[in-house]
Amino acid sequence: MTAVRMPAAPRPAPAQRGRLSAAARLLRLELRRNAMPWVLPVAAGLFWFTTYRKAMAVPPLWNLRAASLQSGALLAFVCPVAGAAAWMGSREARRHTTDLVTITARPRWTRQLAIWAATTCWVILGYLGCVAALYGMTAEQASWGGPLWWPVAVVAASLAALSALGFAAGTLVPSRFTAPVAAVAAFFALALSTQLINGSQSYWQISPIVTAPWDIGPDAGAGAFYPYLPDLSIAQVMFLTGLTMAVLGAMALPNGSGRRWLLRPAAAVTTAGLLAAGTAVALAGTGKLDVHGMIAIPALHDAASDRPLRYTPVCSHTAIPVCLNPAYASYLPAAAAALAPVLNEIAGLPGAPVRISQAAATFRQGPGNSVSVSLADPPLSGTPPVFRLLLPNQLPGTAMTTSGFAAAVRSSAGPAIVASVIGDGPSTFPAQQAVAAALSRSAGLPQPSLPGPVMQRRNTTVPLPAPVRSAARRFAALPSPARHAWLVRHLAALRAGRITLAHLP
Amino acid sequence: MTAGTTGEMPGAAAPGGKTWPAWPPRAGTRLLRLHAISRRVPAAIAAIAACAIGLRIALIGHWDTYGALQLPLVFEAGSAAAIAITTASPLGEPERVTGRWLPFLRLATALALTAAAAAALIAAGAGAHLAGGRLDVLRNVAGMTGIGLLCAAVLGGGLAWVGPTGYLVVGAYALYTQWHRPALTTPWIWPARPPHDAGAAICAALVFTIGIVVISVRGARDPVGE
Repeated sequence: MTAVRMPAAPRPAPAQRGRLSAAARLLRLELRRNAMPWVLPVAAGLFWFTTYRKAMAVPPLWNLRAASLQSGALLAFVCPVAGAAAWMGSREARRHTTDLVTITARPRWTRQLAIWAATTCWVILGYLGCVAALYGMTAEQASWGGPLWWPVAVVAASLAALSALGFAAGTLVPSRFTAPVAAVAAFFALALSTQLINGSQSYWQISPIVTAPWDIGPDAGAGAFYPYLPDLSIAQVMFLTGLTMAVLGAMALPNGSGRRWLLRPAAAVTTAGLLAAGTAVALAGTGKLDVHGMIAIPALHDAASDRPLRYTPVCSHTAIPVCLNPAYASYLPAAAAALAPVLNEIAGLPGAPVRISQAAATFRQGPGNSVSVSLADPPLSGTPPVFRLLLPNQLPGTAMTTSGFAAAVRSSAGPAIVASVIGDGPSTFPAQQAVAAALSRSAGLPQPSLPGPVMQRRNTTVPLPAPVRSAARRFAALPSPARHAWLVRHLAALRAGRITLAHLP
Repeated sequence: MTAGTTGEMPGAAAPGGKTWPAWPPRAGTRLLRLHAISRRVPAAIAAIAACAIGLRIALIGHWDTYGALQLPLVFEAGSAAAIAITTASPLGEPERVTGRWLPFLRLATALALTAAAAAALIAAGAGAHLAGGRLDVLRNVAGMTGIGLLCAAVLGGGLAWVGPTGYLVVGAYALYTQWHRPALTTPWIWPARPPHDAGAAICAALVFTIGIVVISVRGARDPVGE
């Protein structure tokens, strides 16, 4: 044996780089062999059917569309992602390749993480496509504001968590029945989790389909007058991220799931995840309904969010301008047309408002899940007087068509505007009632009525007395300029009660 | 394993010239049993039983109107998915080529499991407030099973759960629209229709029949890859 001079072996590439490229290669393999792309069309179809159509039916307000996106997209994706992840998790056992891959160089946990990451990548990709479609269309339609990204982040974090939970279920119980059970169980847990919410200080608000105080639906005014509060979204993302970490970390803990050196980091990740999730649940329990209709969590609250947003209102060219928040600009023609007749009647009268201005709603938590929504200040205030109104779609209820919206504005704001000028309340004099009825008749508004007797049920009304109705008919029959001229001269006396029914022309 | 693979059975001449196996007394039972085991029917029955027990436990709680209507649908979808998954064959092409009794075995399995699921869920609701009642359960289980069977023919037995679970979301959404208008009233979304609605029953029966026929004749699609 002789000594032979051998050239020095080239220095091996840094281990870190090799490890990364191997991980990327593994991820690429898993992306190609994943079940999620097969299931994505179903998820996309469900998204279109349950979320996109519904979101397009509501006004193009970013907060409404974002709330629809959060709850709708989550429910559309929950079954596909949980089921597909469980299916992928049980792959090795179903194909009887567990022993074959156990002897490979990579720890089992690394392989599992690659499968989970590939499944999550596919579902996030599909979800982002849905977000792009919905937000792209909203950007074209919306007149003011911008996209809200916290709801998007909540759904993305939810999909990662559901993928982890489904994958863990498939790994632990590798049966062909695991996938459907995981899909149905995930839907059950998510859709029915809101049944336990009671009031705004509920731990169950951590459920990622909750976007606002439960049972009143999305608030159209949230994010239009005051900044959108991300408090609840932050807690939800924290919870979901913690849950994902805990589940993925726990998968490395069973014997044989990885190398020994993995156990400590995995245990640390699991513990950190559980702590984060627990903290987030505790934070959600401290949330409460703020006056602007959003859930505020004191520990996560930014005081700057309480300052109103600055905006230039959009106004109509009616006898008295109707001014709305620019986010509601698409409603201006309908609102102005609905109020124009009554504004023509009262324009120029002493004490009449110089502007009809949309105001922010004030929210108060009632017993259980009930919430009262009202104006913070009296409708008519300021010098010169400004009449503040809430649009019908700022109140809890179902979405309205344009004609329904106009009718609601006419029947709610119209009488209130007349009453604010002529006089209002149970102590009004008969002449005031007659003039208010006459103006309402001329403007095509619903006829005013009087509150029912105290003994009767609340909110019952009785028609005006016959003499009042007769005087109202007489006054309404006057030509509009004559009626207006008489009111200009006698409105102060009318309000003071110095005019009787007999004095009315 | 099916009859075609037990090649040592004595044959008898059929009128058409084909040779049909003359069955030993217990061969039919054995064939059924083997087919059921190969399709994980016992596990499917266990899953259906779990759904029924889950429904019974859930019915103990107090649910609002919407939750009460949605609740049975969740367990009906779970049962339908379990039935659809039994269509996956572990034997693949060899069985398809040689098993001449296979269509009848598939038909019998699907029909028996659907009947078992409907019976189990109806029994689970006995004595409790089962929103929609028995007819609702029967219609929904049959319709969603039909969707699952059709999905098995397209995607393969392993992924057949996608159909019933996807339809669960559609059904739950349609129920939601009963409270948040405009309501979805098409009979093709039968979970949102009243139990005695003829159109919804016909649609569910039609889907179930087509699903049964397709899966009996063609079987589930063999998975090419995932």
